[in-house]
Amino acid sequence: MPFVTQKPLELILARNLMSALSTPAFLVDEGGVLVFYNEAAGLLLGKRFEELGTVGAEEWGSLFGPFGEDGEPIPYDELPLVRAVRDGRPAHAELCIRSTDGASHEVEVSAFPILTPHGSQGAIAVFWPSRANANGARP
Amino acid sequence: MKVKLWGTRGSIPSPGPETIRYGGNTSCVGVTLSDGSLLALDAGTGIRSLGLALDDEPARLHILLTHLHLDHIQGLVFFAPAFRPQTEIVIWGPASPEASLRDRIARYISAPLSPVEVRELPCDVSFRHCPQSEWEIGPARIRAASVAHRGPTLGYRIDDGDSSLAYIPDHEPALGADLDRLEEDWISGFALAHKASLLIHDGQYSEAEYPEHIGWGHSSIRHTLSFARRTGAERTVLFHHDPLHTDEFLDRLGEDARERWAALGGAPEAVEIGAERAELELPARAPSPAASV
Repeated sequence: MPFVTQKPLELILARNLMSALSTPAFLVDEGGVLVFYNEAAGLLLGKRFEELGTVGAEEWGSLFGPFGEDGEPIPYDELPLVRAVRDGRPAHAELCIRSTDGASHEVEVSAFPILTPHGSQGAIAVFWPSRANANGARP
Repeated sequence: MKVKLWGTRGSIPSPGPETIRYGGNTSCVGVTLSDGSLLALDAGTGIRSLGLALDDEPARLHILLTHLHLDHIQGLVFFAPAFRPQTEIVIWGPASPEASLRDRIARYISAPLSPVEVRELPCDVSFRHCPQSEWEIGPARIRAASVAHRGPTLGYRIDDGDSSLAYIPDHEPALGADLDRLEEDWISGFALAHKASLLIHDGQYSEAEYPEHIGWGHSSIRHTLSFARRTGAERTVLFHHDPLHTDEFLDRLGEDARERWAALGGAPEAVEIGAERAELELPARAPSPAASV
């Protein structure tokens, strides 16, 4: 019988943790494919992951913006999640994302790679409202 | 493929009159492949009896360790073949970024915990990290994969002809997850157990006990049966019994498990409590699944 494939344990455990968090969080695999985001991220984006499903690398980046303070789209290669997977190092950025209802959200994103004895398995990104926005300094 | 349970207990040996039927030795399963090759799955205290029972001792045998908790390696220094120079033993186990398999096992097989050091073992012993890809031992194809437990832990799948054995003795796949709803490829251990002829799986806790042990790395009976149903395992042996569980308690747990399995649409006889010295022969061709997904 052919051996079925499944997600690496580290991604499974990451998803289980993310599912229990109220902090919006994204999970990508080692190929940069968006394999999960949690309910909190779904509220931010206006669409549950179950509605969207897996999204290929370079596709998910354009679904929700993201764009910088100057309003210009941020190139895919510069997104924190992509940098974390590519470089194997944590990455941080402030950016705006656009939810499905058209609203923009200024957020801070911290991404970190999931490194295992067998190499990188992907990365996690967590989102917070940007500090300036949270303090009411900007609309 | 023939399977014999030499140790079914988890955590710590628990000998005594109250555990005499299901046994008090810790995890060890002997597997005889179709060509007569012998594998030992884990080396808890049960491996001592396995070693003593080898009439026609093979020149080479393989020990597949799921992880290095003491209840899975304690029998190594009491395994008689390890003290015979004509025996070659290959020990497989999980890799760790911290130290090699040999060095980690040597923490136990060394002073002051052990009267002998690894280098003093008379047998020809070698240590190998399990590869991520499938490999072969005799006629069998072996697959190891990380599973949800505490610390680096593997489960194994052994395919020999049309028979398959999945061995996942320490496993908490339901930690933070709903096994009944989760997509298959997101279930820890799914690929190992998928349509296995026999699944030997962690069943340490009753439903009443599990809430007090969430995150300890073990399963409740309900979770084990959910896992078995989702993976389509033909037959399930509940394993790694809690040391506090007496024979009478395990009788009741087994009855509860069979009722639950029947409620899921399976044949009650397809679920059993693992008993020390029990022998199971895997069919050359597996029947259709006992409970549909």
